[in-house]
Amino acid sequence: MWIEQPILATHVKPGQFLNIKVSSEPDPLLRRPISVADVTGEKVRLVFRVVGRGTELLSRNRAGDIVDVLGPLGKPAMIFRNRDIIVCGGGVGAAPLLYLTRYLDKCSRVEVFLGARNRSQLILVADFRKLGIKPEIATDDGSMGWHGPVTEPVFRAVQKKKRPIVMACGPKPMLVDLVAKVDPVPVWGFVEQRMGCGVGICYCCGLRRKNGGYIRLCQEGPVVLLNEVEL
Amino acid sequence: MKYRIKIGRTVFANPVLAASGTFGFGLKFPGVANRIGGIVTKGITVEPREGSPLPRIYEFPGGILNSVGLENPGVRRFRKEILPELRRLKCRVIVNIAGFSIDEFIELVDGLDYKRVDGFELNLSCPNVKNGGVTFGQSPRMVERITKAVRKSTNKTLIVKLTGNFIDPLKTAKAAEQGGADAVCLINTLFGMALDESGRHFLGGRTGGISGPCLKPFALFCVERVASKITIPVIGCGGIMSGMDAIDFLSAGATMVQVGTASLVNPKASLAVWQALGDWCRRHEVKDWEDIVGRTKRQD
Repeated sequence: MWIEQPILATHVKPGQFLNIKVSSEPDPLLRRPISVADVTGEKVRLVFRVVGRGTELLSRNRAGDIVDVLGPLGKPAMIFRNRDIIVCGGGVGAAPLLYLTRYLDKCSRVEVFLGARNRSQLILVADFRKLGIKPEIATDDGSMGWHGPVTEPVFRAVQKKKRPIVMACGPKPMLVDLVAKVDPVPVWGFVEQRMGCGVGICYCCGLRRKNGGYIRLCQEGPVVLLNEVEL
Repeated sequence: MKYRIKIGRTVFANPVLAASGTFGFGLKFPGVANRIGGIVTKGITVEPREGSPLPRIYEFPGGILNSVGLENPGVRRFRKEILPELRRLKCRVIVNIAGFSIDEFIELVDGLDYKRVDGFELNLSCPNVKNGGVTFGQSPRMVERITKAVRKSTNKTLIVKLTGNFIDPLKTAKAAEQGGADAVCLINTLFGMALDESGRHFLGGRTGGISGPCLKPFALFCVERVASKITIPVIGCGGIMSGMDAIDFLSAGATMVQVGTASLVNPKASLAVWQALGDWCRRHEVKDWEDIVGRTKRQD
């Protein structure tokens, strides 16, 4: 899905999200936070998987429809310079990493790893290739690339690098596995969660810090240093 | 028409407030805060609270359930870090305070005796804490005792936020009036819970508070039940999403309204409610709030 909005397109940074009212009706009431997958000119690209009623309604939009969007929201991801960055996406988690990679590729050495349950669940592979990057693929059923979890090839790549940084987005089990495997390498995760307002006024979204208390995901995230939080 | 409204010692520019817990401290959207009657801050406790475990929010057709559990920095950090920031706002600022004992309420009021604090809203209705909150609000005796004690400690405007959970709000509203409150606010969220597929509690805090459009009929009923039987003003709260909802509350007897859950959907919702309410008044050539407030009863 593409949203044409010049101001939004110039301001949105990798890691940020939009909070979208999927229906003009009072139900579903809350907006749905969707991360930005890419920006081209005056258009913002959203890539999402239909998982519930909200995303289902959102997917029903056709070209020319008007959507109620609040954003850009959240803190942009850190763009590290002159570092070895391992980008790791699981399933639809590849989406926000595409826009991130576009930024990172200009100032750091980037390697991309994309994993999914099977070949058909892999997304945006061609778009990463268009950036001049050849993503390493891993599938759980071996239908494409490495047969097994994407965290395996990521682990091997991390070992070869000096002071690498991992930037990841994907299902929670993947993120948990990743943090444990590459420890103590810093893992910046794009975390998905149910949100209330998305603007920091309701205190409903969060992640528990390892040293106590909660962070507000919509304010201090959604990209957080996973080594410091409990997933 | 004059839109100003006076409650206690505070003059509000118009009758729309942003409800506690749904607008943070008003600092994110000063353009909204400065154009509505005022804001009610997130509940402040004596000690900092980290709040309920996650998840804290659940959506269902008609509204949401939340269990934030009064996450807040505590009164000392509020005073040091947030209060100076609040001086940037031009609107009225009511601080919602949640004590777990009468002494704590007094400590909170004493600790917040600053000019920028226009008044207090006593939180006797939060459903997401083990003690205090709604357990106080379910006892008319406690409501009166707490209100009385706070009244002695401050001459700032005092609003008591009451609950509709398993207690006749008329009883607690009368108790608040007896205690010396300047107004009561009806109603806070109602008890609720949600389960996941495996039958476990969905919310980290297990139970939560229901808010949103589904709350409006009950809130409206509570406002009408109470408004004509007490002499202090009632502030209506519960499921106000539009200007018309606000008019309903005024008609039922509320002097002011609070916009809560709507702000989570649209941070400008309280301003939109005020603008729609003002437009409606101009269209209907309303001369005085008295013409609308409580008109339902007068027409029976």
